[in-house]
Amino acid sequence: MENTEKELFSQLAQAVIEGKQEITVALTNELLTLGTEPKRILDEGLMPGMEVVGIRFRDNIIFVPQVLISARAMKSSLAILEPLLSKSDISGAGTIIIGTVKGDIHDIGKNIVAMMLRSSGFKVVDIGIDAKVEKFLLTAEQEGAQILGMSALLTTTMGYMKTVVTRVRDDKLPYKIMVGGAPISRQFAEQIGADGYARNATEAVAMAKKLMEEFKTAS
Amino acid sequence: MNGKDRIARHLNLGISDRTPVMCQLSIGHYFLHSGIDPVEIWFESGAFAEALVNMADRYSFDGVLINLPGRSDVYKNSVKEIQRSHDEIKVIWKNGHYTILPFDDNPHYYTPAGERIFPTFDDIDPEQLYYVEPWDVTEVKFPFFWGFDEHREKSDFFPDYHFDTIRKVKSLAGNRLSVHSEVFSPWSQFLELLNYENALMAIMDDPIKVKVILSQLTEGTIDLAKKQALEGVDAILISSAFAGAGLISRDQYNEFVLPYEKRIISEVRQTSDVPVYTHTCGSIGDRLDLMLETGTRGIDTLDPPPLGTVDLAEAKQFLSGKVFIKGNIDPVNTLLYGSREDIISDVTRRIQTGKPGGGYILSSACSVAPHTPPEHIMLLAELAEQHGKY
Ligand code: B12
Repeated sequence: MENTEKELFSQLAQAVIEGKQEITVALTNELLTLGTEPKRILDEGLMPGMEVVGIRFRDNIIFVPQVLISARAMKSSLAILEPLLSKSDISGAGTIIIGTVKGDIHDIGKNIVAMMLRSSGFKVVDIGIDAKVEKFLLTAEQEGAQILGMSALLTTTMGYMKTVVTRVRDDKLPYKIMVGGAPISRQFAEQIGADGYARNATEAVAMAKKLMEEFKTAS
Repeated sequence: MNGKDRIARHLNLGISDRTPVMCQLSIGHYFLHSGIDPVEIWFESGAFAEALVNMADRYSFDGVLINLPGRSDVYKNSVKEIQRSHDEIKVIWKNGHYTILPFDDNPHYYTPAGERIFPTFDDIDPEQLYYVEPWDVTEVKFPFFWGFDEHREKSDFFPDYHFDTIRKVKSLAGNRLSVHSEVFSPWSQFLELLNYENALMAIMDDPIKVKVILSQLTEGTIDLAKKQALEGVDAILISSAFAGAGLISRDQYNEFVLPYEKRIISEVRQTSDVPVYTHTCGSIGDRLDLMLETGTRGIDTLDPPPLGTVDLAEAKQFLSGKVFIKGNIDPVNTLLYGSREDIISDVTRRIQTGKPGGGYILSSACSVAPHTPPEHIMLLAELAEQHGKY
């Protein structure tokens, strides 16, 4: 039993890495039938798979198309698991609100970041594209989030990140804020008073973990 | 020497009196700065032609890129109402759909529910594809038709008015400015048709079907490019924005971009002398050799870090004598946000690097952002006068 499970976990991770949606779903169901806890399927099958995807993407071994099909495979397995997972299982690592800021409709990078965060145990609420400050704040409050993640790909829209940061600070809200997107730099992030910046989805996970720690220490 | 002759020399890898200057301006920049109403710019060939020429003159550019299709006045019959607010214009159509024109960005067409419509990969029957015009008034559709209801056979696919903007620009300034038209790479058309992510996944799911689709789109693109050549344009640009390393690998470029762009270029060459060149933004530093294999006459944008990966000196060394190059000024950190001093030093360096031996057009890498101050853009021609003399 132990062995079968272990073998299935590794097959599941491999199916995610290769973006094989049907196999991912079949293995998820098989593990559930064996009585494996949903949380372990997530932690020991899906997450290790996505971790490899993240590293290969960061190192330019795979590109966006491969990442997207891995994400799709992961998503279809999560759709089966989510109703079975307890609330704490889902938001175990914390809750992040992520969106592309007002005026900007680029979301390929943001979607990849959201998915990598999800596969690292965060609960991620994706508020989509063209998101205004009110939407970030309202959703963060409803969800009891700790982190706001903002994406912008345009020079015309990156300035809006500052609007959100300023509002959070002025209203003395506790959220940690991280930003990213092709034109964003560490300097820019510092300049607008954000708490963190990440170049890519793998770094975004590390940054989110760091900010979550800071959030806990601060409160 | 006028702009038309100056650019012509460089398209042929030669030199001229000085380095030519020509940038692609974003549509938002025309909206903000041309003084012409956005509704007219977006929906009327004549107004867009005027905006193109006025702005090229204001910035002392040597050429213009016509980056919207010509329009028919018939759109007016479909308008129900036009609402204007401080930051956008909403054109409500009789069918209940609407177009939003932001005051500083490209417009989009929405359903009454506020959505944009895209077919799925499964919906697509490749046989029915010929050319997908993403900037049609009602954007992408499958099967494609023009405007609200203009269905056309492949044998006569491009309406005559599609070429009106080219004709108007030529009549306004064709004797003195270099006039460039645009066709979309089949790869770009495919991404636009499926709304990007679904198209990117499709190459993993069913690469064979994707290749059949791309072949079909290649036929329509060849047809369009040949017709543009007959209108007397000075060059044709293949717009291929999604072929950089930000989105696909070299291998994927090799499979899904190269063969189709190559075929377009070789077909056009068989019937005309009009040079065809390629615009690919973002990170292309790792695939300049593959871009050369398409047989392109020139490579446009060459984004420097952080947005791209091209060092102009390296690119110049590698591409010199093979193709002309255009671009490399950072549109964001230099042109938009840079100080006057930043711009002077950055642009001067570009001229010094790009100029030797000719085949270099000074330009922003990718398009000039909407809010870029006009006085920043005017510096380019001044600096080309000062430092670009041969
Ligand atoms: C695809 C694309 C589009 C698509 C977007 C489709 C979509 N659904 O996203 C379309 C065609 C719609 C588009 C439109 C436009 N685009 Co565009 N587009 C691109 C392109 C080619 C790729 C962007 C991309 O997806 N990259 C791949 C992803 C994976 O990378 P990424 O987004 O950078 O994300 C990574 C990191 O940045 C980071 N990250 C991202 N978000 C976040 C968030 C957080 C919190 C963190 C921590 C990290 C993080 O992690 C991600 C994964 O590793 C780039 C060119 C380029 N090379 O960047 C231009 C580009 C971004 N676009 C540009 C422009 C100008 C436009 C338009 C204005 C053009 C126009 N007038 O039509 C419009 C704007 C529309 C709007 N209002 O938003 C310019 C922007 C210049 C600038 N900085 O101002 C670029 C750079 C092209 C160029 N060289 O000029 N575009």
